Amino acid sequence: MRFASCLLVVAIGVTACGGAAVPHDKLSSAKAAMRAAEVAGAPNDPQGALRVKKAGEAIAHAEKLIKEDENERASYVLERAQVDAELALALAQELTMRGEAEEAQREVAKLKAEVAQ
Amino acid sequence: MIRFTTLSQEWRKLGGLASVACLLIGCAGVPPQQLRTARAAVNDAKASTPAQLAPVELDNAKQALARAELAFEDGEEEQIIKDLAYIAERKVAISISAANLEAAKRSAKQSGRDRDDARDAAYASAKQQLGKTQDALAEQQRKAERDADEAKRLAAEEKRRLEAAKKKGKAEVARVKKQLEKEQLARIAAEKKAAAAMASLAQIAKVKEEKRGVVITLSGSVLFATGQHKLLPIANSRLDSVAKALKDQGFTKIIVEGHTDSRGAPSTNEALSLKRAQGVRQHLISRGILKAKITAVGHGPRRPIAENKTTEGRANNRRVEIVVK
Repeated sequence: MRFASCLLVVAIGVTACGGAAVPHDKLSSAKAAMRAAEVAGAPNDPQGALRVKKAGEAIAHAEKLIKEDENERASYVLERAQVDAELALALAQELTMRGEAEEAQREVAKLKAEVAQ
Repeated sequence: MIRFTTLSQEWRKLGGLASVACLLIGCAGVPPQQLRTARAAVNDAKASTPAQLAPVELDNAKQALARAELAFEDGEEEQIIKDLAYIAERKVAISISAANLEAAKRSAKQSGRDRDDARDAAYASAKQQLGKTQDALAEQQRKAERDADEAKRLAAEEKRRLEAAKKKGKAEVARVKKQLEKEQLARIAAEKKAAAAMASLAQIAKVKEEKRGVVITLSGSVLFATGQHKLLPIANSRLDSVAKALKDQGFTKIIVEGHTDSRGAPSTNEALSLKRAQGVRQHLISRGILKAKITAVGHGPRRPIAENKTTEGRANNRRVEIVVK
Protein backbone atom coordinates (compact mmCIF):
# COMPACT_ATOMS: atom_id res chain seq x y z
CA MET A 1 0.00 0.00 0.00
CA ARG A 2 2.78 2.36 0.96
CA PHE A 3 4.60 1.46 -2.25
CA ALA A 4 1.54 2.30 -4.25
CA SER A 5 1.23 5.66 -2.50
CA CYS A 6 4.84 6.56 -3.27
CA LEU A 7 4.42 5.60 -6.90
CA LEU A 8 1.36 7.81 -7.08
CA VAL A 9 3.30 10.73 -5.60
CA VAL A 10 6.06 10.33 -8.20
CA ALA A 11 3.55 9.96 -10.98
CA ILE A 12 1.80 13.09 -9.87
CA GLY A 13 5.16 14.85 -9.75
CA VAL A 14 5.99 13.75 -13.26
CA THR A 15 2.67 14.70 -14.80
CA ALA A 16 1.96 17.83 -12.74
CA CYS A 17 2.65 20.22 -15.70
CA GLY A 18 -0.84 20.34 -17.03
CA GLY A 19 -2.06 22.06 -13.93
CA ALA A 20 -0.10 25.35 -14.36
CA ALA A 21 -1.88 28.63 -14.94
CA VAL A 22 -2.04 30.22 -18.39
CA PRO A 23 1.07 32.51 -18.71
CA HIS A 24 -0.83 35.61 -19.81
CA ASP A 25 1.80 38.01 -18.49
CA LYS A 26 4.65 36.25 -20.28
CA LEU A 27 2.64 36.13 -23.49
CA SER A 28 1.89 39.85 -23.31
CA SER A 29 5.47 40.67 -22.37
CA ALA A 30 6.91 38.59 -25.22
CA LYS A 31 4.56 40.19 -27.75
CA ALA A 32 5.42 43.68 -26.46
CA ALA A 33 9.13 42.91 -26.65
CA MET A 34 8.73 41.69 -30.23
CA ARG A 35 6.82 44.83 -31.22
CA ALA A 36 9.49 46.99 -29.58
CA ALA A 37 12.17 45.16 -31.58
CA GLU A 38 10.19 45.66 -34.78
CA VAL A 39 9.67 49.37 -34.07
CA ALA A 40 13.39 49.74 -33.33
CA GLY A 41 14.13 48.43 -36.84
CA ALA A 42 15.35 44.95 -35.95
CA PRO A 43 13.85 43.39 -39.13
CA ASN A 44 16.17 45.57 -41.20
CA ASP A 45 19.23 43.65 -39.99
CA PRO A 46 19.65 39.94 -40.85
CA GLN A 47 20.54 38.95 -37.27
CA GLY A 48 17.74 41.07 -35.84
CA ALA A 49 15.29 39.76 -38.41
CA LEU A 50 16.21 36.18 -37.49
CA ARG A 51 15.64 36.90 -33.79
CA VAL A 52 12.31 38.55 -34.48
CA LYS A 53 11.30 35.56 -36.57
CA LYS A 54 12.33 33.16 -33.81
CA ALA A 55 10.41 35.19 -31.26
CA GLY A 56 7.34 35.19 -33.48
CA GLU A 57 7.54 31.49 -34.04
CA ALA A 58 7.99 30.86 -30.31
CA ILE A 59 5.00 33.04 -29.47
CA ALA A 60 2.89 31.16 -32.01
CA HIS A 61 4.12 27.86 -30.59
CA ALA A 62 3.33 29.03 -27.05
CA GLU A 63 -0.18 30.06 -28.05
CA LYS A 64 -0.71 26.62 -29.52
CA LEU A 65 0.58 25.01 -26.32
CA ILE A 66 -1.74 27.21 -24.25
CA LYS A 67 -4.66 26.03 -26.34
CA GLU A 68 -3.58 22.49 -25.63
CA ASP A 69 -3.46 23.36 -21.92
CA GLU A 70 0.33 22.85 -21.87
CA ASN A 71 0.76 26.06 -19.90
CA GLU A 72 4.01 25.23 -18.13
CA ARG A 73 5.70 24.32 -21.41
CA ALA A 74 4.22 27.43 -23.00
CA SER A 75 5.72 29.49 -20.19
CA TYR A 76 9.25 28.32 -21.05
CA VAL A 77 8.66 28.80 -24.76
CA LEU A 78 7.48 32.35 -24.07
CA GLU A 79 10.61 33.01 -22.06
CA ARG A 80 12.58 31.95 -25.11
CA ALA A 81 10.46 34.26 -27.25
CA GLN A 82 11.08 37.05 -24.76
CA VAL A 83 14.90 36.74 -24.89
CA ASP A 84 14.88 36.43 -28.68
CA ALA A 85 12.84 39.63 -28.93
CA GLU A 86 15.05 41.40 -26.38
CA LEU A 87 18.15 40.30 -28.28
CA ALA A 88 16.62 41.59 -31.52
CA LEU A 89 15.92 44.92 -29.82
CA ALA A 90 19.47 45.07 -28.40
CA LEU A 91 20.94 44.32 -31.82
CA ALA A 92 18.80 47.01 -33.43
CA GLN A 93 19.82 49.57 -30.80
CA GLU A 94 23.46 48.56 -31.19
CA LEU A 95 23.23 48.89 -34.95
CA THR A 96 21.60 52.31 -34.71
CA MET A 97 24.18 53.55 -32.25
CA ARG A 98 27.02 52.20 -34.35
CA GLY A 99 25.64 54.07 -37.32
CA GLU A 100 25.48 57.26 -35.30
CA ALA A 101 29.04 56.76 -34.03
CA GLU A 102 30.31 56.14 -37.56
CA GLU A 103 28.47 59.20 -38.83
CA ALA A 104 30.02 61.28 -36.08
CA GLN A 105 33.47 59.91 -36.93
CA ARG A 106 32.94 60.72 -40.60
CA GLU A 107 31.88 64.22 -39.66
CA VAL A 108 34.99 64.61 -37.49
CA ALA A 109 37.22 63.39 -40.33
CA LYS A 110 35.53 65.83 -42.75
CA LEU A 111 35.94 68.74 -40.35
CA LYS A 112 39.57 67.87 -39.72
CA ALA A 113 40.18 67.65 -43.46
CA GLU A 114 38.56 71.13 -43.94
CA VAL A 115 40.74 72.55 -41.19
CA ALA A 116 43.84 70.94 -42.71
CA GLN A 117 43.17 72.64 -46.10
CA MET B 1 14.06 -6.67 13.16
CA ILE B 2 11.51 -7.90 10.71
CA ARG B 3 10.15 -4.40 10.47
CA PHE B 4 13.68 -3.02 9.89
CA THR B 5 14.22 -5.59 7.16
CA THR B 6 10.91 -4.75 5.61
CA LEU B 7 11.74 -1.11 5.81
CA SER B 8 15.17 -1.70 4.24
CA GLN B 9 13.59 -3.62 1.46
CA GLU B 10 11.04 -0.89 0.97
CA TRP B 11 13.79 1.81 0.90
CA ARG B 12 15.68 -0.20 -1.68
CA LYS B 13 12.53 -0.49 -3.75
CA LEU B 14 11.92 3.24 -3.26
CA GLY B 15 15.52 3.96 -4.34
CA GLY B 16 15.03 1.93 -7.43
CA LEU B 17 11.82 3.79 -8.19
CA ALA B 18 13.58 7.12 -7.60
CA SER B 19 16.24 6.13 -10.10
CA VAL B 20 13.55 5.27 -12.59
CA ALA B 21 11.89 8.60 -11.83
CA CYS B 22 15.19 10.43 -12.30
CA LEU B 23 15.59 8.83 -15.68
CA LEU B 24 12.03 9.79 -16.52
CA ILE B 25 12.54 13.47 -15.56
CA GLY B 26 15.93 13.74 -17.23
CA CYS B 27 18.20 13.91 -14.21
CA ALA B 28 21.17 12.70 -16.24
CA GLY B 29 24.78 13.07 -15.15
CA VAL B 30 25.97 14.60 -18.40
CA PRO B 31 24.63 18.14 -18.99
CA PRO B 32 22.98 18.77 -22.34
CA GLN B 33 24.94 20.48 -25.10
CA GLN B 34 22.90 23.70 -24.76
CA LEU B 35 23.88 23.99 -21.13
CA ARG B 36 27.54 23.45 -21.91
CA THR B 37 27.34 26.07 -24.64
CA ALA B 38 25.64 28.51 -22.28
CA ARG B 39 28.33 27.93 -19.66
CA ALA B 40 31.08 28.61 -22.19
CA ALA B 41 29.26 31.73 -23.42
CA VAL B 42 28.95 33.09 -19.87
CA ASN B 43 32.62 32.34 -19.17
CA ASP B 44 33.67 34.09 -22.37
CA ALA B 45 31.51 37.08 -21.54
CA LYS B 46 33.02 37.33 -18.07
CA ALA B 47 36.46 37.67 -19.61
CA SER B 48 35.48 40.22 -22.26
CA THR B 49 33.78 43.55 -22.72
CA PRO B 50 30.36 42.77 -21.26
CA ALA B 51 32.02 42.44 -17.84
CA GLN B 52 33.10 46.07 -17.99
CA LEU B 53 30.50 47.66 -20.25
CA ALA B 54 27.31 45.72 -19.51
CA PRO B 55 27.63 44.29 -15.97
CA VAL B 56 23.87 44.32 -15.32
CA GLU B 57 23.08 42.39 -18.48
CA LEU B 58 25.94 39.98 -17.78
CA ASP B 59 24.55 39.47 -14.30
CA ASN B 60 21.17 38.66 -15.83
CA ALA B 61 22.91 36.08 -18.02
CA LYS B 62 24.66 34.59 -15.01
CA GLN B 63 21.38 34.35 -13.15
CA ALA B 64 19.76 32.68 -16.14
CA LEU B 65 22.65 30.21 -16.28
CA ALA B 66 22.32 29.57 -12.54
CA ARG B 67 18.65 28.87 -13.08
CA ALA B 68 19.52 26.38 -15.82
CA GLU B 69 22.20 24.82 -13.65
CA LEU B 70 19.72 24.50 -10.77
CA ALA B 71 17.24 22.92 -13.11
CA PHE B 72 19.94 20.50 -14.19
CA GLU B 73 20.92 19.78 -10.62
CA ASP B 74 17.28 19.35 -9.70
CA GLY B 75 16.98 16.91 -12.48
CA GLU B 76 14.39 18.89 -14.38
CA GLU B 77 13.19 17.79 -17.76
CA GLU B 78 15.87 18.01 -20.42
CA GLN B 79 13.69 20.28 -22.52
CA ILE B 80 13.34 22.70 -19.62
CA ILE B 81 17.11 22.63 -19.06
CA LYS B 82 17.58 23.26 -22.79
CA ASP B 83 15.08 26.13 -22.69
CA LEU B 84 16.76 27.69 -19.69
CA ALA B 85 20.21 27.18 -21.24
CA TYR B 86 18.90 28.77 -24.44
CA ILE B 87 17.62 31.70 -22.42
CA ALA B 88 20.98 32.02 -20.62
CA GLU B 89 22.84 31.93 -23.92
CA ARG B 90 20.54 34.55 -25.41
CA LYS B 91 21.03 36.74 -22.37
CA VAL B 92 24.78 36.43 -22.88
CA ALA B 93 24.21 37.58 -26.47
CA ILE B 94 22.10 40.44 -25.11
CA SER B 95 24.91 41.38 -22.71
CA ILE B 96 27.40 41.34 -25.59
CA SER B 97 25.09 43.48 -27.68
CA ALA B 98 24.55 45.80 -24.71
CA ALA B 99 28.33 46.05 -24.28
CA ASN B 100 28.67 46.83 -27.96
CA LEU B 101 25.91 49.39 -27.62
CA GLU B 102 27.72 50.98 -24.69
CA ALA B 103 30.99 50.97 -26.62
CA ALA B 104 29.25 52.56 -29.59
CA LYS B 105 27.67 55.13 -27.26
CA ARG B 106 31.04 55.96 -25.79
CA SER B 107 32.55 56.12 -29.27
CA ALA B 108 29.73 58.39 -30.41
CA LYS B 109 30.20 60.52 -27.32
CA GLN B 110 33.93 60.76 -27.95
CA SER B 111 33.27 61.47 -31.60
CA GLY B 112 30.85 64.14 -30.48
CA ARG B 113 33.57 65.71 -28.38
CA ASP B 114 36.03 65.32 -31.26
CA ARG B 115 33.45 66.86 -33.57
CA ASP B 116 33.00 69.78 -31.20
CA ASP B 117 36.77 70.17 -31.00
CA ALA B 118 37.06 69.93 -34.78
CA ARG B 119 34.23 72.46 -35.17
CA ASP B 120 35.97 74.75 -32.72
CA ALA B 121 39.21 74.28 -34.64
CA ALA B 122 37.40 74.84 -37.94
CA TYR B 123 35.73 77.93 -36.49
CA ALA B 124 39.04 79.20 -35.16
CA SER B 125 40.69 78.47 -38.49
CA ALA B 126 37.89 80.16 -40.40
CA LYS B 127 38.02 83.09 -37.99
CA GLN B 128 41.76 83.35 -38.44
CA GLN B 129 41.37 83.12 -42.19
CA LEU B 130 38.63 85.71 -42.06
CA GLY B 131 40.87 87.93 -39.99
CA LYS B 132 43.67 87.54 -42.49
CA THR B 133 41.31 88.24 -45.37
CA GLN B 134 39.92 91.28 -43.59
CA ASP B 135 43.43 92.52 -42.88
CA ALA B 136 44.40 91.96 -46.50
CA LEU B 137 41.27 93.76 -47.69
CA ALA B 138 41.89 96.62 -45.29
CA GLU B 139 45.48 96.87 -46.50
CA GLN B 140 44.29 96.80 -50.11
CA GLN B 141 41.78 99.50 -49.32
CA ARG B 142 44.41 101.59 -47.56
CA LYS B 143 46.73 101.12 -50.52
CA ALA B 144 43.95 102.04 -52.93
CA GLU B 145 43.23 105.14 -50.86
CA ARG B 146 46.89 106.02 -50.77
CA ASP B 147 47.14 105.48 -54.53
CA ALA B 148 44.02 107.56 -55.07
CA ASP B 149 45.40 110.33 -52.85
CA GLU B 150 48.71 110.17 -54.66
CA ALA B 151 46.97 110.24 -58.04
CA LYS B 152 44.87 113.17 -56.85
CA ARG B 153 47.94 114.95 -55.57
CA LEU B 154 49.80 114.31 -58.83
CA ALA B 155 46.79 115.46 -60.83
CA ALA B 156 46.55 118.62 -58.77
CA GLU B 157 50.28 119.17 -59.12
CA GLU B 158 50.04 118.56 -62.85
CA LYS B 159 47.13 120.96 -63.06
CA ARG B 160 49.07 123.58 -61.14
CA ARG B 161 52.10 122.96 -63.32
CA LEU B 162 49.99 123.22 -66.48
CA GLU B 163 48.32 126.36 -65.24
CA ALA B 164 51.67 127.83 -64.34
CA ALA B 165 53.03 126.77 -67.73
CA LYS B 166 49.95 128.18 -69.39
CA LYS B 167 50.32 131.39 -67.47
CA LYS B 168 54.02 131.47 -68.20
CA GLY B 169 53.31 130.65 -71.81
CA LYS B 170 50.76 133.40 -72.00
CA ALA B 171 53.19 135.80 -70.43
CA GLU B 172 55.91 134.57 -72.75
CA VAL B 173 53.62 134.93 -75.74
CA ALA B 174 52.72 138.41 -74.59
CA ARG B 175 56.36 139.20 -73.96
CA VAL B 176 57.43 137.79 -77.32
CA LYS B 177 54.57 139.55 -79.01
CA LYS B 178 55.52 142.75 -77.30
CA GLN B 179 59.14 142.12 -78.15
CA LEU B 180 58.20 141.41 -81.75
CA GLU B 181 56.09 144.48 -81.86
CA LYS B 182 58.93 146.42 -80.32
CA GLU B 183 61.40 144.91 -82.73
CA GLN B 184 59.02 145.46 -85.59
CA LEU B 185 58.63 149.06 -84.53
CA ALA B 186 62.37 149.32 -84.11
CA ARG B 187 62.89 147.75 -87.47
CA ILE B 188 60.37 150.03 -89.07
CA ALA B 189 62.03 152.92 -87.31
CA ALA B 190 65.44 151.66 -88.33
CA GLU B 191 64.24 151.14 -91.87
CA LYS B 192 62.78 154.60 -91.86
CA LYS B 193 65.95 155.89 -90.36
CA ALA B 194 68.01 153.95 -92.87
CA ALA B 195 65.77 155.11 -95.67
CA ALA B 196 66.06 158.63 -94.44
CA ALA B 197 69.82 158.26 -94.10
CA MET B 198 70.04 156.79 -97.55
CA ALA B 199 67.84 159.54 -98.87
CA SER B 200 70.08 162.14 -97.27
CA LEU B 201 73.12 160.25 -98.57
CA ALA B 202 71.63 160.21 -102.02
CA GLN B 203 71.70 163.98 -101.96
CA ILE B 204 75.44 164.10 -101.36
CA ALA B 205 76.63 160.84 -102.90
CA LYS B 206 75.71 158.12 -105.26
CA VAL B 207 74.15 155.17 -103.42
CA LYS B 208 73.84 151.85 -105.14
CA GLU B 209 72.78 148.38 -103.98
CA GLU B 210 75.29 145.87 -105.30
CA LYS B 211 76.11 142.23 -104.68
CA ARG B 212 78.96 143.16 -102.31
CA GLY B 213 76.65 145.47 -100.31
CA VAL B 214 75.41 149.06 -100.37
CA VAL B 215 78.00 151.12 -102.18
CA ILE B 216 78.23 154.85 -101.40
CA THR B 217 80.36 156.55 -103.98
CA LEU B 218 81.89 159.93 -103.21
CA SER B 219 83.63 161.83 -105.96
CA GLY B 220 87.32 162.32 -105.34
CA SER B 221 87.19 165.95 -106.50
CA VAL B 222 84.78 166.75 -103.70
CA LEU B 223 86.96 165.17 -101.04
CA PHE B 224 90.53 165.82 -102.03
CA ALA B 225 92.62 168.24 -104.02
CA THR B 226 94.49 166.71 -106.97
CA GLY B 227 97.35 164.46 -105.83
CA GLN B 228 96.51 165.14 -102.13
CA HIS B 229 95.08 162.88 -99.51
CA LYS B 230 94.04 165.54 -96.99
CA LEU B 231 90.30 166.02 -96.79
CA LEU B 232 88.90 169.26 -98.10
CA PRO B 233 86.79 171.33 -95.68
CA ILE B 234 83.69 170.61 -97.69
CA ALA B 235 84.52 166.92 -97.47
CA ASN B 236 84.25 167.06 -93.69
CA SER B 237 80.61 168.10 -93.78
CA ARG B 238 79.76 165.47 -96.37
CA LEU B 239 81.52 162.73 -94.45
CA ASP B 240 79.74 163.90 -91.32
CA SER B 241 76.48 163.31 -93.13
CA VAL B 242 77.73 159.87 -94.23
CA ALA B 243 78.79 159.07 -90.68
CA LYS B 244 75.42 160.20 -89.35
CA ALA B 245 73.64 158.04 -91.91
CA LEU B 246 75.74 154.96 -91.17
CA LYS B 247 75.85 155.32 -87.42
CA ASP B 248 73.49 153.08 -85.45
CA GLN B 249 72.28 151.29 -88.57
CA GLY B 250 73.48 147.87 -87.46
CA PHE B 251 75.92 147.34 -90.28
CA THR B 252 78.46 144.65 -89.56
CA LYS B 253 81.28 145.79 -91.79
CA ILE B 254 82.26 148.97 -93.61
CA ILE B 255 85.02 148.97 -96.18
CA VAL B 256 86.41 152.28 -97.39
CA GLU B 257 87.96 151.86 -100.83
CA GLY B 258 90.15 154.45 -102.45
CA HIS B 259 90.30 154.66 -106.27
CA THR B 260 92.35 156.89 -108.64
CA ASP B 261 92.42 157.50 -112.39
CA SER B 262 95.18 156.00 -114.52
CA ARG B 263 97.36 159.05 -114.77
CA GLY B 264 100.66 158.93 -112.92
CA ALA B 265 102.66 156.04 -111.58
CA PRO B 266 100.51 153.12 -110.44
CA SER B 267 102.42 152.72 -107.19
CA THR B 268 101.87 156.38 -106.40
CA ASN B 269 98.20 156.01 -107.18
CA GLU B 270 98.01 152.86 -105.03
CA ALA B 271 99.53 154.67 -102.07
CA LEU B 272 97.42 157.75 -102.67
CA SER B 273 94.23 155.77 -102.88
CA LEU B 274 95.06 153.95 -99.62
CA LYS B 275 95.91 157.15 -97.82
CA ARG B 276 92.68 158.76 -99.03
CA ALA B 277 90.73 155.71 -97.86
CA GLN B 278 92.49 155.81 -94.50
CA GLY B 279 91.70 159.50 -94.19
CA VAL B 280 88.03 158.86 -94.82
CA ARG B 281 88.09 155.94 -92.39
CA GLN B 282 89.67 158.06 -89.70
CA HIS B 283 87.11 160.77 -90.16
CA LEU B 284 84.24 158.33 -89.92
CA ILE B 285 85.78 156.83 -86.74
CA SER B 286 86.06 160.31 -85.32
CA ARG B 287 82.33 160.67 -85.98
CA GLY B 288 81.31 157.64 -84.03
CA ILE B 289 81.65 154.68 -86.42
CA LEU B 290 83.14 151.73 -84.58
CA LYS B 291 86.81 151.28 -85.39
CA ALA B 292 86.60 147.53 -85.45
CA LYS B 293 83.90 147.58 -88.10
CA ILE B 294 85.62 149.78 -90.56
CA THR B 295 88.62 149.04 -92.79
CA ALA B 296 90.38 150.94 -95.55
CA VAL B 297 91.88 149.66 -98.81
CA GLY B 298 93.53 151.39 -101.76
CA HIS B 299 92.88 150.02 -105.20
CA GLY B 300 94.63 152.71 -107.19
CA PRO B 301 93.51 152.76 -110.82
CA ARG B 302 92.79 149.06 -111.01
CA ARG B 303 89.01 149.30 -110.69
CA PRO B 304 87.87 152.08 -112.97
CA ILE B 305 84.18 152.70 -113.47
CA ALA B 306 84.68 154.91 -116.55
CA GLU B 307 87.11 155.61 -119.42
CA ASN B 308 90.33 157.26 -118.31
CA LYS B 309 90.71 158.92 -121.73
CA THR B 310 88.24 161.68 -121.03
CA THR B 311 88.31 164.26 -118.34
CA GLU B 312 84.85 163.26 -117.16
CA GLY B 313 85.81 159.61 -117.13
CA ARG B 314 88.90 160.23 -115.08
CA ALA B 315 86.89 162.44 -112.71
CA ASN B 316 84.46 159.55 -112.15
CA ASN B 317 87.28 157.11 -111.56
CA ARG B 318 88.76 159.31 -108.85
CA ARG B 319 86.49 158.40 -106.08
CA VAL B 320 86.06 156.88 -102.65
CA GLU B 321 83.59 154.03 -102.27
CA ILE B 322 82.20 153.12 -98.90
CA VAL B 323 80.93 149.53 -99.06
CA VAL B 324 78.51 148.83 -96.30
CA LYS B 325 77.63 145.18 -95.50
